[in-house]
Amino acid sequence: MNRHTLFGGAYALAFFAFLFGPLVIMATTAFNSSRFPRVAPWECFTTGWFGELFGNARLMEGLMNSVIIGVGVVALAVPIGLAGALALSELPAKLRSMLYTVLILPILIPGVVLGISTIVLWGQITRGTGAGFLYNGYFLTIVGQITFVSAYAMLVFIARLQRFDATQTEAALDLGATPGQAFRKILLPFMAPAIGSAAFITLLASFENYNTTVFTVLSESTFTTALASKVRHGTDPSLSALAVIIITLTLVGALTNEAYQRRKEAEAGGRASRSPLYANPVTRALTHPGIVFAILVTVIGGITYAGSQYDSSVCEAAVLQEKLDRQEELRAEQRERIEAQEAEQGVTVPKPDSAFGGAFGGVGTPAAPAAPKPESPSAFGGAFGGITAPEVDE
Amino acid sequence: MKQLKLAYTSLLAKHGMGAALFVAISVTLWVVVFITLPQLSMLDYSFRFNLPADQIGTEADHYTLEQYHSFFFNSDGSFNALDITILIRTLIAALIVTMIDVLICYPIAYILAHGAKGVAARLMVIGLIIPYWINEILRAFAFRVLFGSTGVVNTWGMQMGLWDAPVDFIRADVALYCGLAYAYILLMVFPMYNAIEALDHTQVEAARDMGAPLWRVHWRVVLPMAKPGIVSGATMVFMLTAGALAAPQILGGPSSLWFTQLIYQWFNESSNWPRGSAYAVVLLVTCISFVLLMMRVFKVSVGEIGK
Amino acid sequence: MPDQTPDRSVLLDHVSIRFGNFTAVDNANLKINSGEFFSFLGPSGCGKTTMLRCISGFSEPTEGKVLIGGKDMAGVGPNKRPTALIFQHLALFPLMTVAENIAFPLEVRGVSKKERRKKADELLEMIALPGIGDKKPGELSGGQKQRVAIARALAVEPDILLLDEPLSALDLKLRQHMRTELRAIQKQVGVTFIYITHDQGEALTMSDRVAVMSRGVIEQVGEPDRIYNRPRSAFVASFVGENNALQGVIKGQSGDLAALETPMGTFEARVGGGRKYKAGDAALLFVRPEQLIPGATENAFHATLTRQEFEGAANHVFAKAGDSELRISMVNAGLAGSLPGQGESLSLGFAPMNGTILPVGHMASDS
Repeated sequence: MNRHTLFGGAYALAFFAFLFGPLVIMATTAFNSSRFPRVAPWECFTTGWFGELFGNARLMEGLMNSVIIGVGVVALAVPIGLAGALALSELPAKLRSMLYTVLILPILIPGVVLGISTIVLWGQITRGTGAGFLYNGYFLTIVGQITFVSAYAMLVFIARLQRFDATQTEAALDLGATPGQAFRKILLPFMAPAIGSAAFITLLASFENYNTTVFTVLSESTFTTALASKVRHGTDPSLSALAVIIITLTLVGALTNEAYQRRKEAEAGGRASRSPLYANPVTRALTHPGIVFAILVTVIGGITYAGSQYDSSVCEAAVLQEKLDRQEELRAEQRERIEAQEAEQGVTVPKPDSAFGGAFGGVGTPAAPAAPKPESPSAFGGAFGGITAPEVDE
Repeated sequence: MKQLKLAYTSLLAKHGMGAALFVAISVTLWVVVFITLPQLSMLDYSFRFNLPADQIGTEADHYTLEQYHSFFFNSDGSFNALDITILIRTLIAALIVTMIDVLICYPIAYILAHGAKGVAARLMVIGLIIPYWINEILRAFAFRVLFGSTGVVNTWGMQMGLWDAPVDFIRADVALYCGLAYAYILLMVFPMYNAIEALDHTQVEAARDMGAPLWRVHWRVVLPMAKPGIVSGATMVFMLTAGALAAPQILGGPSSLWFTQLIYQWFNESSNWPRGSAYAVVLLVTCISFVLLMMRVFKVSVGEIGK
Repeated sequence: MPDQTPDRSVLLDHVSIRFGNFTAVDNANLKINSGEFFSFLGPSGCGKTTMLRCISGFSEPTEGKVLIGGKDMAGVGPNKRPTALIFQHLALFPLMTVAENIAFPLEVRGVSKKERRKKADELLEMIALPGIGDKKPGELSGGQKQRVAIARALAVEPDILLLDEPLSALDLKLRQHMRTELRAIQKQVGVTFIYITHDQGEALTMSDRVAVMSRGVIEQVGEPDRIYNRPRSAFVASFVGENNALQGVIKGQSGDLAALETPMGTFEARVGGGRKYKAGDAALLFVRPEQLIPGATENAFHATLTRQEFEGAANHVFAKAGDSELRISMVNAGLAGSLPGQGESLSLGFAPMNGTILPVGHMASDS
């Protein structure tokens, strides 16, 4: 058994290394002054990418749109999901599995299909009724996202409803409550935590969604679509900086939630007095979710302030100078080589080795533009009027 | 219909008029306006010509198979091998990604359900969820950082002397496969975990006690229990992978195109909505038939999904 | 409460409840008196819970009528009936405090907050748990929850309190204690209690009257001692208490007594339920273990002892006679007494009045 435990532990470690490795590396690149997100070679420690991130007007505008859309989606998807879960709980088995299949389908249908079908339908409605105001990115995105986001909310509610003791409603009725009172005073309070988590999940799903949104948002952009177009058209470490912010927020949220859950569990189980952590007044106060949250925020705030005061310009200037020197060297070398080749064949083949591509990585000098990738021999490239193959790093 | 009415009456008796109406209206709205009508509308569109706005509704606007015809055949009548290949390649790639996820998630789901206890188990659950909270685009971006020509993998690989020149992982689709497998891990682990967790651990111990080697215990005792979870997870991962757009756009090599990217181009770059709709219908029908076929093969019902 | 005691009776008027082809309750016809402690006793699936739900208004009878306090309850919802139900798992609201739980019926009736709290404290006083009003149900012990559930049900001042096996989740000692307590509370408030249970000990010790149910049918209604001593059907005889059953054929009947021929001999016994038999009718003879007297010569037969179980106050002895195994209970006479050894043969007999002849029917072990 011991051998197996060891194997299991090792596997779990490897698994979580795969889960977190890419995130950690991405986060690290946020602090490297190199213009291309990478860990090695390490140039200078910098916090400048965060500033660059907040200076990105398109992203910030997308953020605003995402918030507006997210609020709309939560406000509609959560009640719809709740209704779905309630409806399923009342249907006889056969009809229930039918409705379940229909309602769960939007999760499985490719997001692009949902997006397309949404704009096609509402486009037709707009043409048919002349109600042009319906045909705007906000409305279409909300409608398109609700289709599947409601199913996420529904799954949360189904899980919670399964733990609802139906005799509670009966007891309330028996004690003289009207069905409406029983619903408001017994079922809804029971569902409250699920409403919270459903709201959170739907907000996240709405915020994150790309496949549907990229169609429905029309000429507007959300945070995620702005992000995607930024990633597709060349990258810089300000995206890593964004990842650092999101990861930090996630960790703070997770830790606070964990503290909250544990405390609630300990109190509900009547173990609060028994656990030494909760018995001692100091540790008890320290493990209060509010305090945990406050401590985390303080620490992060401190780090942020320290980071914003950090100046990496001296180091960067040194690196830049070094690079320029090296570039000059390389260029000289290349010139020689080309001259030699031209002398031999009379043909120009400007194909820098990709190992150098990174080093060139657009240091910001007009002298070093990103070397264009040779057009890949994609036969359909022409047929579709220039499919933009996602650009590669270099 | 009668059963629907009965269910409504039961809701009415239990939760009152307000709740019953709320449920009835919301679910109807969801099923009809949000789910069914858009799909029908898209289906309708896919049978039409791509006409300029002023010709819509005129005589020129009638049903046609042209959009589907052009998926299968080029204008000169030869097979449209290009698009068909892209579809098939997308499906195969999705299948490979799904299998990778099944393989790497099964041990974790088992460890989570029967090995890890207390703090370790909680940490594992949190650890599984946190990456899922990071934006999909950023997750793909992380893999681009990782696999880029000056990425960590290339740097380390060259430092260790495994290869001399930077390997173009992006062109080789390694980054794409990794990114997609990574993106949907959570959707595979949790259904599996739920299924395996229902297994009484003493059954594993009993099988071990009777002298069965570990692989046989898994094959005969754990796997049959995990099957619905695996199928449920595999369905979700397959559908989402086949329908993925962001990861192929960000991580896809220049020579490999995902079918969703074709659809995207018909819509956003060629402005040919009917053609895009037809392609979307093709994708939807193919994926759903494929999943239904697999479910038939593995004898699992749709009701298991999402559990 | 009004000066005049209200009519707290329940009348089941030819009530049948069917679900599709399945008959859960078949033609129940009985009256539960005002202020009575009445139990429905039967194995699980006998229809007793369905009956209870029908009285409380969660389901309507397919046929017949339910009258509470003389009023027909057809179409009256559970929230409009003068009944309160204690659920098997109590159904206390976990998110409310104990006081809020108890005051819930007043809350939904629009009683002011101050008054609600006063009433809740009064009821907590009554169930001898003052001062726990601000706790959550999760923090209470099993017995405390039990009493809170009763207090909550009494807060609506019901005429009828319905209890659905509320003690089944408690451990043995607490269960016995709660029996006494329930009975005391019932005497104190004077409300009609209708108690559902599969535990005959509970039914027999607490109730004024018991209805034994099986397969949807009320087999017998009566005082506990009548049920035990004068069973009217094979099911009641075999379900309530231990019983020995012998199958045989009637030889003849004279008044209350009849002679039954069995493979072990012919015995005289009382005819259950005042029935009339013809010679040749098949019938069952029931004799309780404690009524079988070793060494008797009249109305007796020979048996061989097979094994014995010691149970403190009594010894259970098992004997084989013909194809039947019989159970005999002997009072523990302390060191003075001695038990016959295994394999010994002995004569067993019973007084004719202590045997009961009943028509052949399904027994408790059949279901």
